[in-house]
Amino acid sequence: MGEIRMAILVAVLGLGLPGFAKDPEPQFKSVEAKHFTKSEGVELSPEFTDYLYAELRAELTKAKLFGQVIGEGEVVDAADAPASIVIEGGITEYKKGSVVKDALIGFSAGWRSLKVETTVKRRSDQKVIVSPQIRVRASPRWKDKVLAKQAAQQIVKEIKKALKEGGAAT
Amino acid sequence: MNFRRTLYVGRWLLALSAMACLKAMAEEPKPKPENTVHVEVSEAVKPQTFTRGLKFFVADVTDRSGNAQPMLVYRPRGGIFLDRAPAEIMREGLTTCLKTADALAADRESADFVLTIYLFHFGLSDSSGMDFFGKVEFAAVVKNPRTGKSQQVSASGTSIAGVAVLKKNIQKNVLENINKAFVDALRNLLRGEKLRNAVGTLDVPAEPKTPPAAEKPAMQE
Repeated sequence: MGEIRMAILVAVLGLGLPGFAKDPEPQFKSVEAKHFTKSEGVELSPEFTDYLYAELRAELTKAKLFGQVIGEGEVVDAADAPASIVIEGGITEYKKGSVVKDALIGFSAGWRSLKVETTVKRRSDQKVIVSPQIRVRASPRWKDKVLAKQAAQQIVKEIKKALKEGGAAT
Repeated sequence: MNFRRTLYVGRWLLALSAMACLKAMAEEPKPKPENTVHVEVSEAVKPQTFTRGLKFFVADVTDRSGNAQPMLVYRPRGGIFLDRAPAEIMREGLTTCLKTADALAADRESADFVLTIYLFHFGLSDSSGMDFFGKVEFAAVVKNPRTGKSQQVSASGTSIAGVAVLKKNIQKNVLENINKAFVDALRNLLRGEKLRNAVGTLDVPAEPKTPPAAEKPAMQE
């Protein structure tokens, strides 16, 4: 009987303890996201890049990989620079899509698409840590800013993956 | 006969449009204590340190957003209003941050730099529809009163917050979102490289006034 009680206690503690565990230490001191540039022929409003920038920062905060998500052009202490990264990028392609195709054919025909090239650099030596190319698609019946949200999520996912694989903080 | 019928239809149309106008006027959000929010800097932003202790003076804050209703930040569901004009909130926020870091000059004469703020956006902006997008955007003209030279520094702050269903939660989320964007914008200015560069360029001693050139003696014949 006593053994069963002990086993239950151990099981309860084993299941409950991870809940009390602290969040892991952030891998980087700070991250700076810059406004993405637009290539020639990309017909997107300046509000779109503002929104993409805001979404990217929100996603970076959620990722908990960075001690601080700083704004564009903010000063970083020289001591923190080796453990800080900068995210730059550009929108290289944007296709508006077609509502008619989407309605008549379906199966994601006529969807909007966005292609983004991103570079993640270490602040101190400008060494490129990862440079993911993201392509996102969404229905033309939704707002174009949905693409920005998807792109931001995708970028952060790729950065997380690359940092996990490469252990780039060192 | 025809004229009478036209007149009859015209009257009906007039009555219908008057009713629509009245309905629209009734739906126009009005500021009330329950739909007014108070935006302020929750935690003062510490400005970057300069080589010597500089003092700034906030001269004018001008709203250049071109918004007819600058205090209305959210229109649906009865609206959400700010309790003060955005220019006033901006002045108070900036002054608080400078004061906390002992970088606020008491008056224009004792200041090393005079700041003139032009506010371009304060509040919510168009989002994907799945969240609230808070944005504060402004430009600060940094002027050295001794030399008279100035430079413009732009700053912006953004914030994303989740949407809500209940009106109470919408109001809470909107307030938090604007607060965060506001603090972010202030940090972007006060801790930005642009301000450092501007101060570095402008922080030069005034050129000594050259004495008026002595009149040349009249040419002797």
